[in-house]
Amino acid sequence: MSLSRFLIKRSLQGLFVIWGVITVVFGLRFISPGDPANVLLPPDVDPEVRAQVIAELGLNEPLYVQYWEFISGIPFGDLGLSLVTRTPVASRVVTKLPATLELAIAATIVAVIIAIPLGVVSATRRHEPADYGATVFSLVGISTPNFWLGVMLILVLAVQLNLFPTSQRPIGIDGILLLVLDGDLGAAADGLGTWLWHITLPAITLGTYFTALITRLTRSGMLDQLGRTYVRASRAKGLPETLVRYKHVLRNTLIPVITVIGLQLGTLIGGAVITEAVFAWPGLGTLIINSINARDWPVLQGSLIVVAVGFVLVNILVDALYAYVNPQVAYD
Amino acid sequence: MISERTIRNLRRELNRSFLAKIGIAVVVLIVAMAIFAPFISPYSPGQQNLENARQPPLGFSTKETKEVTKMDNGSVVIEDGQVVTETQTVYTNASVAHPLGTDGNGRDILSRIIYGARTSILVGLFGTSLAALIGVLVGLSAGFYRGRVDDLLMRGADIMLAFPSLVLAIALVGVWGQAQAPIPDPFVVSGIAPAFRSAIGLSTGMPDTIVLPGTVIVVVALVNWVWFARVARGEALSIREEEYVKAARALGASDGRTVLRHVLPNAITPILVLATIQVAAIILLESALSFLGFSGADVSWGFDIALGRQYQSTAWWISTMPGLAIVVTVIGLNLVGDWLRDALDPGIEGEGGV
Amino acid sequence: MTDSNSHIGRRSYLKLAGGAAASAALAGCTGGGDEEETTTAAEETTTETGGEETTTSTPEESTEPFNVTITQGQMPSGLDPQDHRETPTDIVVLHAYDGVLTRDATGAMQTALATNYERIEGENAVRFDIREGVTFHNGEELTPEDVAFSINRVVDEDVSFASPQSDQLAGVASAEVIEGENAVKVNNSSLNPIVFSEFATYLDVMQQSWVEGNSKAFISQNMNGTGPFKLDSYTEDEEVVLSRYEDYWKEPAAVETLTFRAASEASTRVNQLLQGETDVIVNVPPQEVQRVNNNENTRVAAAPSTRIIYNAMRYDVEPFDSVKFRQAMNYAIDLESIVQNVLGGFGAQTSQPTLPEFVGHNEDLDPYPYDPEMAEQLVEESGYAGAEIELNTPVGRYLKDLEISQAVAGYIDELPNVSASVRQRDFGSLVDELLAGSIEERPHWFLIGWGEATFDGGLVMTALLSSEGLLTTWQNEEFDSLLEQAGNQSGDERDATLQEANTLAHEECPWIFLNQQFSVYGVNDSIAWEARSDERIDAYDMSLK
Repeated sequence: MSLSRFLIKRSLQGLFVIWGVITVVFGLRFISPGDPANVLLPPDVDPEVRAQVIAELGLNEPLYVQYWEFISGIPFGDLGLSLVTRTPVASRVVTKLPATLELAIAATIVAVIIAIPLGVVSATRRHEPADYGATVFSLVGISTPNFWLGVMLILVLAVQLNLFPTSQRPIGIDGILLLVLDGDLGAAADGLGTWLWHITLPAITLGTYFTALITRLTRSGMLDQLGRTYVRASRAKGLPETLVRYKHVLRNTLIPVITVIGLQLGTLIGGAVITEAVFAWPGLGTLIINSINARDWPVLQGSLIVVAVGFVLVNILVDALYAYVNPQVAYD
Repeated sequence: MISERTIRNLRRELNRSFLAKIGIAVVVLIVAMAIFAPFISPYSPGQQNLENARQPPLGFSTKETKEVTKMDNGSVVIEDGQVVTETQTVYTNASVAHPLGTDGNGRDILSRIIYGARTSILVGLFGTSLAALIGVLVGLSAGFYRGRVDDLLMRGADIMLAFPSLVLAIALVGVWGQAQAPIPDPFVVSGIAPAFRSAIGLSTGMPDTIVLPGTVIVVVALVNWVWFARVARGEALSIREEEYVKAARALGASDGRTVLRHVLPNAITPILVLATIQVAAIILLESALSFLGFSGADVSWGFDIALGRQYQSTAWWISTMPGLAIVVTVIGLNLVGDWLRDALDPGIEGEGGV
Repeated sequence: MTDSNSHIGRRSYLKLAGGAAASAALAGCTGGGDEEETTTAAEETTTETGGEETTTSTPEESTEPFNVTITQGQMPSGLDPQDHRETPTDIVVLHAYDGVLTRDATGAMQTALATNYERIEGENAVRFDIREGVTFHNGEELTPEDVAFSINRVVDEDVSFASPQSDQLAGVASAEVIEGENAVKVNNSSLNPIVFSEFATYLDVMQQSWVEGNSKAFISQNMNGTGPFKLDSYTEDEEVVLSRYEDYWKEPAAVETLTFRAASEASTRVNQLLQGETDVIVNVPPQEVQRVNNNENTRVAAAPSTRIIYNAMRYDVEPFDSVKFRQAMNYAIDLESIVQNVLGGFGAQTSQPTLPEFVGHNEDLDPYPYDPEMAEQLVEESGYAGAEIELNTPVGRYLKDLEISQAVAGYIDELPNVSASVRQRDFGSLVDELLAGSIEERPHWFLIGWGEATFDGGLVMTALLSSEGLLTTWQNEEFDSLLEQAGNQSGDERDATLQEANTLAHEECPWIFLNQQFSVYGVNDSIAWEARSDERIDAYDMSLK
């Protein structure tokens, strides 16, 4: 199978999954107890007004009509209207995306910066104190619920020591970029400082599990590679040890590590939801939780669709990259 | 099913690994704590003492001079819309009666951790079993029949995988609400535990039911079965090509019989290893749902962390202690998982943390 | 964990809906004599046009800008003042929009955009004279057409949209301009004795041409009112920034820039207050009060609210069909300890459905004392010894709701002959059950809160305890007839009848009587401001200390 055929097949599969996701999400509303009209209207409202609102929302249409209305708008970015604010769901979700993305990216950066060197050190100094330290850290890291870690970080670093703010995102990268475009570099620098100050604890909270995971993977991958014949051959050829380790071995170790990072994106987004809840970080997770509490189903549905579709697209992208880098393995 | 060689491998790995021993010890301890909660818990998890709320754990007594609101008949005194305060010296003393302190309603934190283990272990075990049941059924069918069945089931699995499990779980529990099933606690109902407690002088009145968080169990299974399906499918795909399976089918063995007799036993090892890791993942998932207030569980580690959050500036121990319980339990399970994986090397992956 | 009231509406739908429904009920059956009295009294103090100044004075030569940030539990759901039912939204939009009437901090009625209000003799109608020289934020002058339009926009679904506030003006049929005069006539469908009360609490006046010239979406993102602050910027879910309107019809506000933000976690709000990131925060939970008090620059402000928290017990199911059992439940709990230790004193014990500030409160009734022996004995006598009961409770809806429920169930569970547990409920589904048409569909035992902005005990009892009440769990002929009797009385007579009804409720115990909720705020010490009992935060009343 050629690369282009593989990509076409993968995209078709992706489309099918996206359709499935949308259908599942559409179905969610019908398994929820309670009348959606009760979310909108005070309970003692005039029955005529109630009927009118129900008609306005299309809640009295036959199922297939509702389904078509739901699904046909999505390609054009129409996710319906929020029951509570009656504004378009799509715009609410889109305005929340930057906050979640920057949190996820910051956490990934934290994880990669700490984990890969840690994994390398751990593997190259096997059975030394550094290795034990890294092993214990990664074990504890993958076993700690991140919401509790967040609560503890707030408790110690924010409440007791007052080193960091407990929550909130007064400015985002999007806001900082706008300042840069305005040419107000001083304000942009201030904004960046504020942003870093606020994102530190959430990023550590979200990133710890991944740091631990990647440390583990890097260590075991590295150990695996170091034992291979080509390493011994290179050493025998008299290549400097650092070159052997960091050029050849690390490169070969990183390919599976990066794949796993791609695979764990779902966990990252899930983790972001609860991290946002702990730090009142105004992203998709907060939106999802608020929409459940307010029983604002369209917003919940829209957020789920955006998360799931985004996840599918990223996976296709990762697969394509992987296929490009590593043609012989990729196509199943 | 589990061959002698397998057992030999497990033994050898256990002898070699100190961490595996710790893991087994921790898991046994937590499970025992959950089972025998009505015997060992110092108090009932719900037993309150409002006058003794927020007592610190042993070693953390404090004495502070601070502004305290003036009280009259239980209520604060308000003048001109402002709260009247006075300076007082306030003592908060720890006591052996509550070694880990008390929470906002004066309930014993140690007792709540012991009883919380029940919720975690129950959800972990039942959730994993249900997930394994669904997943293995789907996976074996897909792998055994291949073709359209495989395509259909695996695309279904892809759809499930497109949702981050925590997000989907939150949405499902949020939408469904919480259904709980109280089941009688055999130790309490039979009178054994109360008799034991009065014999050694512990307080009685332990809860006579165990609350099974039904929705949560179903939901964690629904969002985690896919991992089992993948593993089972992979095993089925390879095993169905084995000569003896082909032979059995050629001899006219029914599909069900073939799967049960030949395919399932061979798939059991990787499924067991996966299940161990999944118990840990599901315990984390349950605690996250409880933390967000979606599980409806009244005694749960995650929920107690959330309850304690409001006291983070004045009583740190309320949210700290149950979190430690989660970490220790999950570390134990992960160590056992590592041990099984190293010993059996099934080569599987599965979504982990929260 | 979220704190009290942090979700969709600080006033629950329940409260609003119930208040409105109950008002409607009252409108149907009272002669309304006492309302007239209030009107005359109010007129005497407020009819001199434009003369009434509020307590605040603007510092003349203040050099530093006086900016205030208010952090609530959640952001407004939109800025259309007539398209929402939530206190957080109300608190924001009321700074930009005025009503024809308003209330002061103590709840007394005052004039606003109307200079005079009176009943029109011989008709079921009232008249508002509109203040002259008032301008909207876009510089255009307020006309009686704008006022009539605003009223019709709420009560008439054919005018622009079906407003969710139509029942707040229950009994109001339409409004029209009185030809040739700067006045508006409001037609009522009946006598509507509470019409002025309604206008004092509700109805924000908008500009007709602005509403008609803009889309619905634009109106919910922008504001153009006559209020003391005009909108600078609005970022949905993040912040609303308002600035002082210099051409306000009273003295311009002391506050120059007013910003609203939200943080759903109480501890987060407190941290922001302590770090100086905000100046006023809502719903400071008891455990955070010390932190605010012991911080140098902040203090706690509080006021008893109009909300009562109670446990309803359905009179028609075992074991709650026994009066003795219900009384036992009240004796079983140590209410003083719950108020002091769970609520940190930020609540008052109640002994009856009517709060002390309300019409109909009976001062002679004391809360049930804590007497577990008596409770045990009453349970025995009720014949329901060994009962197992389950308390349905919302979580994070009211101040310490779950903790109160756990405490109540904990005390009852300590009785040797009853076992009690708590069941946490999703608020939405709990409300669904409570609002189900018939008593049979309601939970047997539940905790709920009820606020009544009109300060009337009759409305509370009608909605919650009369046979036909919106949320009732009780049916008692004597009680019903007392309420009916009160419906045909006024003044002291009515008060006495309502007091009698309260006595009956106290003895029959349809509820476990719990607490009156307090509104608790954290305030920066540099700001002079008093908490109000109606949950509003009025930045116009703020000044520098």
